[in-house]
This record gives sequence, structure tokens and C-alpha cells, in this order.
Amino acid sequence: MRILALIKYSMDVAEVKVDPATKELRLAGVPEKIGAIDKNVAEAAVQLKEANGAALQALCLGPLAATDSFKDVLAMGLDEVFLVEDPFAGAADGRVAACILEAAIRKLGQFDLILCGFASDDGYSYQVAPRLAERLGLPLVSYGRQLKVSDGQLEAERDLEDGLQAVSVSLPALASIAEEAYPPRRTTLMEAIKAKKKPVNVWHVEPDLGLVRNELEKLSSIESSSQVGVMIQRKQRMLKTATLRESADQLIDLLLEEKVLKGGSK
Amino acid sequence: MNSQAILVFSEDADLLKELVSGAKQGTKAQDWRIAAVGVGKEASALANLGEDVLYQVDVDVHNPELLTAALEAAARKVEPSIVLVGATKLGLEVAPRIAERLAAGYAAWATGFEVASGTEGAKVMAQSMIFAGVGIATHTFKAGPVVLSVARGIFDSRQVDGKQAEVVVLDTPLPAPKLTIHGYRPKAMNGGRLAQARFVVDVGQGVKERDDLQITQALANLLDGQLSCSRPMSADRDWFPEWVGLSGAKIKPELCVTVGVSGAVQHIIGIRDSHLIVAVNMDEGAPIFSQADYGVVADLYEFLPLLIERISARGIRPAWAT
Ligand SMILES: Cc1cc2nc3c(=O)[nH]c(=O)nc-3n(C[C@H](O)[C@H](O)[C@H](O)COP(=O)(O)OP(=O)(O)OC[C@H]3O[C@@H](n4cnc5c(N)ncnc54)[C@H](O)[C@@H]3O)c2cc1C
Ligand SMILES: Nc1ncnc2c1ncn2[C@@H]1O[C@H](COP(=O)(O)O)[C@@H](O)[C@H]1O
Repeated sequence: MRILALIKYSMDVAEVKVDPATKELRLAGVPEKIGAIDKNVAEAAVQLKEANGAALQALCLGPLAATDSFKDVLAMGLDEVFLVEDPFAGAADGRVAACILEAAIRKLGQFDLILCGFASDDGYSYQVAPRLAERLGLPLVSYGRQLKVSDGQLEAERDLEDGLQAVSVSLPALASIAEEAYPPRRTTLMEAIKAKKKPVNVWHVEPDLGLVRNELEKLSSIESSSQVGVMIQRKQRMLKTATLRESADQLIDLLLEEKVLKGGSK
Repeated sequence: MNSQAILVFSEDADLLKELVSGAKQGTKAQDWRIAAVGVGKEASALANLGEDVLYQVDVDVHNPELLTAALEAAARKVEPSIVLVGATKLGLEVAPRIAERLAAGYAAWATGFEVASGTEGAKVMAQSMIFAGVGIATHTFKAGPVVLSVARGIFDSRQVDGKQAEVVVLDTPLPAPKLTIHGYRPKAMNGGRLAQARFVVDVGQGVKERDDLQITQALANLLDGQLSCSRPMSADRDWFPEWVGLSGAKIKPELCVTVGVSGAVQHIIGIRDSHLIVAVNMDEGAPIFSQADYGVVADLYEFLPLLIERISARGIRPAWAT
């Protein structure tokens, strides 16, 4: 069996700060790594390999700086990574990114199963898996948990708002992994050492995938974009008193002043 | 495909109503035509939301492929410039699929849109949440249709004129789905109580043992409130059926007291519409303090009993208590 895991080199959005004066997003220096959600994708792939035997490749559209970030997922049990250098540095429209990923998947050949996260840590747009299902003409099990492969079928549970839906599709298929469905394993030092020998192949859209940057740009449906940070003004007042009992009283007094509490005497 | 029309879909009737209302408000200057897609035999009950046409399709609402096909069929008829899809898990799968089929632009988690008429047809601008809610982007789309997914609570569901829409039964043959559904198991839920709560004690991993929830519950009870929690308290520890945050419930109480919550942005997104936020955390460097109105640096095990004692002793009640 051949399984492909799609993993994104994602920004740690918890580290994105908003400039209070200009509302600008401070993106410079924000750490990037394989997203927490996509580590669940790697874990799902490794568990399926353990259950059924499989070759596990991973595909990432991202910057060359991502090359060193695959150690963990390789140590977990992925066999090989293909990094496609992103000509738009993460700024491409969803359709363009899907088009590049599709071209890379087609070049890698026929897979039995392609796994994505339900959303990426930073993009969080839930769109890559459904777009690829459309483009590749594959069945999709979205928000999947408890994935099982047997007799050319994928069985899984779809994790929906109010329940779990048991479904199946024939392979080849695509699945997106539900939130926290496959907490990634810890790896050993031996696995980490072995991972160093596993290949990280770098592809470029033009020579390797036969895509032309200008043509890709034309596919984008966005003419222009701007962005600002979401700012919610809070009072940020720290209570400083000699004892915690005084803090409790001070907090109650403040909440009385704010009129969310009422009544009482000192 | 560039008519002055909006196509609106959600399997969630309340959200559909919000979307119709949002579609109306966003286009009233130009007086666009609004078409809604309603699913199921009872869908004609949705003909009074304010839309001009209701396309009724009788398909299994649990199968994303069928809904995609139905929405596509409606889109081919309406030729909308904008398709608004409710951002439920189903909608978030259907919307990008439709965007692919219509070669349309797409923004997930839209928070608003504007239309202007240009020489090449309607021009669409839309705002959407980016980076998991840390920012808002404004996109100007090239000519052509645009699909937007919109979460609950973005548009208010103002009752429009209450006119009856024309109901059109869509009976285009739909392809056999590749996904087979075998069964359904409901999950335990808070049943929407949290969304209505006016006082919430929001607990995080600073609460060490399950029994310790008695302390936080005592505070909640005292002020007639509810408990909510961060994701690890539910997903890892399984102490609660659901969590608050980016992928969880969104709360907007008058008062939210977080205890032992570090304040990760993915959690804050669930509580940031609270009127007032109080944070109790042992670590004075915890990010929660920059998201709070009042901060107390304290061990919750020491502070909460004192707070409970003082509230009781002083006869304090929530402002809205009768
Ligand atoms: C893509 C993505 C989506 C996510 N979505 C969500 C989401 O929807 N909701 C969500 O909640 N999280 C979400 N998370 C996880 C989030 O990033 C945080 O990891 C999580 O919210 C942390 O939970 P916490 O604050 O309870 O725990 P911790 O971060 O472990 O914080 C515990 C806090 O308790 C304090 N503390 C410890 N002991 C005491 C004590 N005795 N008294 C007082 N304070 C004490 C500590 O100082 C610390 O600040 C998401 C993460 C990712 C990557
Ligand atoms: N640049 C990328 N490279 C590889 N996989 C990606 C990329 N972007 C998204 N994905 C995959 O698609 C999933 C959903 O991402 P998104 O649609 O951006 O929310 C992620 O969890 C990944 O599995």
C-alpha cells in the first residue's frame, strides 16, 4: 500500500502579535514548524502502516527553510518527504496551492490513501482536502477518526458537531484527520538518528512539476488583499494587594463597579 | 456567471436565516436577488426567511457529496456572483468543493462582504478571519463568482419583510455518492447552555484533579453560572463533553472568570466576546493576563476558596439576579 501524508510547515499563530497602534500583524520572527494538526496526520499514517504495511511519503508545499523541520515526522515513521518550494511564500490563493499540490501528487504516482489534516494550524481554512477530492476525483472521508483499511476499503468515523458518523469508501481515497484524533507518539533517540538518513527531496514548480509561475498567478481569483490584526481592548489591570483575601474583596468591588455583580456590604 | 444574485445555503435553519439576512443587508443598495437552498421534504417551511426563491432539494443532508451536487445544480440555475455557505463542518467541506466546480474565488470564515457593480460585472470584496482568528483579511476578488463560508453569529438574523419566496423543487439527477454512510452515534453535548450563560467559570489545566472541579463548580453555582473548559480538559482528560475556543464553543457571558488557563490564542477566540474577563493564574507572565480586564496572580487553590467565602459573606449576587 502507498500512503501520502500532506503536512504543512505552519506558523505558530499563538506567537503572532498585533501592533496596538497600527493594528498591524507582526509576522516577522514568528516560529514555524510542522503543525500540531499535521503531526496527527503523520501519526495516522504511521498507525495505518503498522496495521497494514505501507510505504509512507509526505508532501509539503513550503519554503526551503522547512527542510530541517521534518526530523520529527521522519522519526515517527514516515519514509520520505517531498518539499515543493512555494513560489508564493504561503500567500497563494487556495486554488493555486491546491493546483500545485495536485501536480505534485500526480507526479508521485498512484496512492491508495492520501491523508490531510482537517485544517492547517495557521491557514485553518479546511479547504485543501475538499479541493483535492474535487481535483483528483477521489472519495473523501472528512474529519476522520479510527481509520481502518481492509479489502480495498477505508472505514472510518466522521467526527461531526453532534455525533460520529460511520462511513466507508473504496480505495484509492482521501481522508482528512479530525482534531486531536491521532496524538503524535514520542520518538526515541534511535528513531531520531535513523531519521537523519531518510530523504528530504526538494522540488521546484517550474522544472519539476511543469507549472509556470505566471500561469499559476492567473489561476488566483484574488486581485488584492490586505490584513489587520484583531484587537480587543481589555483593561489589563492586575490586582496588587498584600493578601489574597484583599484581592478577593477588591475583585468583588471592581465587579460591583462594573455592574456585573450587585448587593452586599463590606 | 455574474448576475446580481446571491445563492445561500446551510443545513442549519438558524444559520440559513442569518445568511439570508446578511445577503439582504449586504446587497440592499443594489437590490440583488436572493436564492436559498433548503434541504429535505420540509424545506418549504424555509420559504419565509426573506429570500426571493427557495430551491428545495430532497437529498440526504448527511452526505457532503450530495449536497455539493445539489448546491452546484442550484448555482447553475441562479448564476450567482456570491455563494454564502454556513461554516458548519458540512459547509466547510461543501464550500471549497463548490469553489472548485465553479472556478470561483473562496474565502473561509468570512465576516462580511461588499458588492459594487463594475464594467465586467459585479465586483466582490470580502473580509475573512485569517491565521486561526488572529487577523482579518480584506480580499478584492477578480471578476467571477465568489464563495464565502460564514460562521454562526456573524450576521444577525433580522426578520426581513416576511414575504413568501417562490419555491422551486430542484430535481436534477444527482450522481451516486462515493461515500457510504453506515450509522450515527450522537455525542454528549452541553446542549447550547454555554452560549446563553451570563456567568462562566472557564477552567484550564491549572485545575489538577477531577475532584477539584468542585471548587470551580461552587463558584459557578454561587453566581448562577456554568463551567466551560480549554481543549485539553476535554480532548485529553475527557472531563467535559466540549471545549471553548477556535474549534469549540464560543461564549459571550457578562462575566468570564478563567482559572488555570494559560491564554493560548486558540482558546481566547472562544471567550473574546465576553463582556468582562477576569483571569486567575499562578504565573504572572501567562498570556491570559493581556486578554483580561482584571488579573489575579494566585494559586487557584488558595484564591478561589477565599473568593467564594467573600462572595457568600458579603451577600453578593449577579447583577441580573431577580
Ligand atoms: C490548531 C489548534 C487549535 C486549537 N484549538 C483550541 C481550542 O479550540 N480551544 C482550546 O482551549 N485550545 C485549543 N488549542 C490548544 C491551545 O493552543 C492550548 O494548548 C490550550 O488552550 C491550553 O490549555 P490550558 O490553558 O488549559 O493549559 P496550559 O496551557 O497547560 O495552561 C495551564 C495554566 O494554568 C496555570 N496554573 C497551573 N497551576 C495553577 C494553579 N494552581 N493556580 C493557578 N494557575 C495555575 C499555569 O500557569 C498555566 O498558565 C488549539 C491548538 C492548536 C494548535
Ligand atoms: N502548504 C501545504 N503543504 C502540504 N500540505 C498542506 C499545505 N496546506 C495545507 N495542507 C494540508 O491540508 C490540510 C488542511 O489545510 P487548510 O486547508 O490550509 O486548512 C492540512 O492539515 C495539510 O494536511
